[in-house]
Amino acid sequence: MRKFLAILAAETARAISQITKRGSGSALPGLVAQKVDPAIITKLSDMLPGGVILITGTNGKTTTAKMVAGILEAAGHKVIYNFSGSNLSRGIASFLIQHTNFWGTKMTGDIGLFEVDEATMPEILALVRPKAIVVTNLFRDQLDRYGEVDKTAQIIGKSLALAPEAKIILNADDPLVASLSKYNKNVLYFGIDDDYKTQSKGAIDSRNCISCGAELDFNPRYFGHLGNYTCPKCGVSRPKLDYSLSGLTFSVEDSKATLVTPNGKTDIAIQLPGLYNLYNALSASALADFLGIKGDIVAKTLGTVSAAFGRMEKIALPDGRNIFLMLVKNPTGFTQTIETLTFDEKPKNILIALNDNFADGTDISWIWDAEMEIIQKVAENVIVSGIRAEDMQLRLKYAGYDMGKVTLEDDLAKSLELGIAGLAAGETLYVLPTYTAMLELRRTMSSKGLVKGFME
Amino acid sequence: MNLYGDLGNIITLVRRCEWRGIEAEVVNVKAGDKVDFATADILFMGGGQDSGQKTIADDLVSRGPAIKKEIEEGLPALLVCGGFQLFGHYFQTSEGDKIPGIGVFDAYTVGGEKRLIGNVVVDIAHLASEWQNQFGQASGGATHTTLVGFENHSGQTILQGGTKPFGYVIRGFGNKGDGGYEGAVYKNAFGTYLHGSLLPKNPWFADHLIMCALNRRYGHVDSLIQLDDSIEISAHDAAIERSKTAKTLSI
Repeated sequence: MRKFLAILAAETARAISQITKRGSGSALPGLVAQKVDPAIITKLSDMLPGGVILITGTNGKTTTAKMVAGILEAAGHKVIYNFSGSNLSRGIASFLIQHTNFWGTKMTGDIGLFEVDEATMPEILALVRPKAIVVTNLFRDQLDRYGEVDKTAQIIGKSLALAPEAKIILNADDPLVASLSKYNKNVLYFGIDDDYKTQSKGAIDSRNCISCGAELDFNPRYFGHLGNYTCPKCGVSRPKLDYSLSGLTFSVEDSKATLVTPNGKTDIAIQLPGLYNLYNALSASALADFLGIKGDIVAKTLGTVSAAFGRMEKIALPDGRNIFLMLVKNPTGFTQTIETLTFDEKPKNILIALNDNFADGTDISWIWDAEMEIIQKVAENVIVSGIRAEDMQLRLKYAGYDMGKVTLEDDLAKSLELGIAGLAAGETLYVLPTYTAMLELRRTMSSKGLVKGFME
Repeated sequence: MNLYGDLGNIITLVRRCEWRGIEAEVVNVKAGDKVDFATADILFMGGGQDSGQKTIADDLVSRGPAIKKEIEEGLPALLVCGGFQLFGHYFQTSEGDKIPGIGVFDAYTVGGEKRLIGNVVVDIAHLASEWQNQFGQASGGATHTTLVGFENHSGQTILQGGTKPFGYVIRGFGNKGDGGYEGAVYKNAFGTYLHGSLLPKNPWFADHLIMCALNRRYGHVDSLIQLDDSIEISAHDAAIERSKTAKTLSI
């Protein structure tokens, strides 16, 4: 009865917020429902026959979730997943209520897939009993919001301990993520098994042994602090891989590899560039295999998945010109994106848009840790824009750019016009925005009719 | 230790030397490495995570006397956040652990309840008279007496005795979170909570460190070759403007 009242209250709140047009109404119904029935999330999520899956970590959550959803749907499941990114508990409550029938006796899907912010993990784990939890990686990200990455690992670890029944699927190549097995032993590991080496120096993410503090040996290092590592002092090394990718090949716009699981080998090709997207594909494949989905379904689906909203998007313009949108949000991701642009040597037109709103991270120090130096060999023209355009311009100066090739345009809409105007037929404008800059640029493109509206 | 974009400080010192034909070599010192501080020209130590801080602190304490001797003799040093805290007497964490520092600054740090986060503008005019002719001599001839940066710390650093602050807060929280003073100065050692990175957007201070280094190594050096700092100044000015509108956090 309480559950029903909670749902009724939530639906009323949703109706009111839609009538009064207060916001999108995405979190309010959940908030109201939780007030009426604090156990609403537990009750509704327990009704999903296929259980609940959580995906957390710094980078790749949304793209991985999108891949997993695609695979599960291809395998005949009806997935409900919080794709819009409202991943605080009230958002999840709202979301579950949206996917239940009026009486709250049946869910409209059979499996729940939630992308969960690292800091929200304890709150969610106190409420749901997940079947599996994927931890993608732990990088420095928006430190001003979460404090420090070691603390983030602790928060996630303690929440994993609350889910003894869940299968924990960890990135073995990330020493910090791999060390989370000390909180929950029910673990599967995924990682890369290839001799690919990054050009970046990766000086910023900690490469010290979690156990003894000595500097780890990497053979090789794939990017940031991810790689096949051993500690020369205490002998800790990368755990044995249950799932791996080998034979990696890349271009600026797509990538290929061979997926190895306990159930055999499958070649995969994804329409997304960069090693980080192969990591996303790998974690999605590991989860799919754990859920009993066959390799051919996984491979076929991965071949068609596009990146999550605004992460990476190709937008066609007239005359064979294109905009290639690549979200940047932290130094390691930025360095990786730049490295991706060097997979071929064609001179490129680039627009970098740096904002410092809350969702971008208000501290822009991180641009000094992004290895902007790498892009030099492929950067033909660079436009800098956004609230902190001047900082990005300065970063490029100290990276040794020819400042004659750099244009400053504070206004995002104008910077996009300028970038498009500079393209010859057949050329691509590579747009590297932070989160809120991406939203604004996408709005501009939407008003010009270049892309569809906000929701896919 | 490097966190919060401290790499920008190193890049800035190296570039500004290179652009003037001064050779610069960066030596990364890790715990346990052998170092002769007498051969160093500028010492830099940045922030780290609390866990990194404990490992580094033991190593630093063992080097304390050697570092202090050079600082007494004029070695320029820039110590940001965690580095600043460890150059005081001690850092008492919010869990009650007391991490000893090397006491270059007559100051101590206590872990606060809240983390202070946001853009900072500080006034360093009180140092101007001592910095003499190199102070504020970025291009354009204008004298610059402000520094811009970004702070993110829970530790509160209290200065004792006659210890001089580095700057006075125009916007931001500062050492104690009360909008009072920021950082500390002793001889040519500068401690601060300013990230940003600090040096790229405050080239006059970067140049002051370089001047101190040249003076220490070669005797009296009057001035540095002037560089075109228009891009640096536009970033500095934009950061001041942004500090007027951006929100700060105390969480």
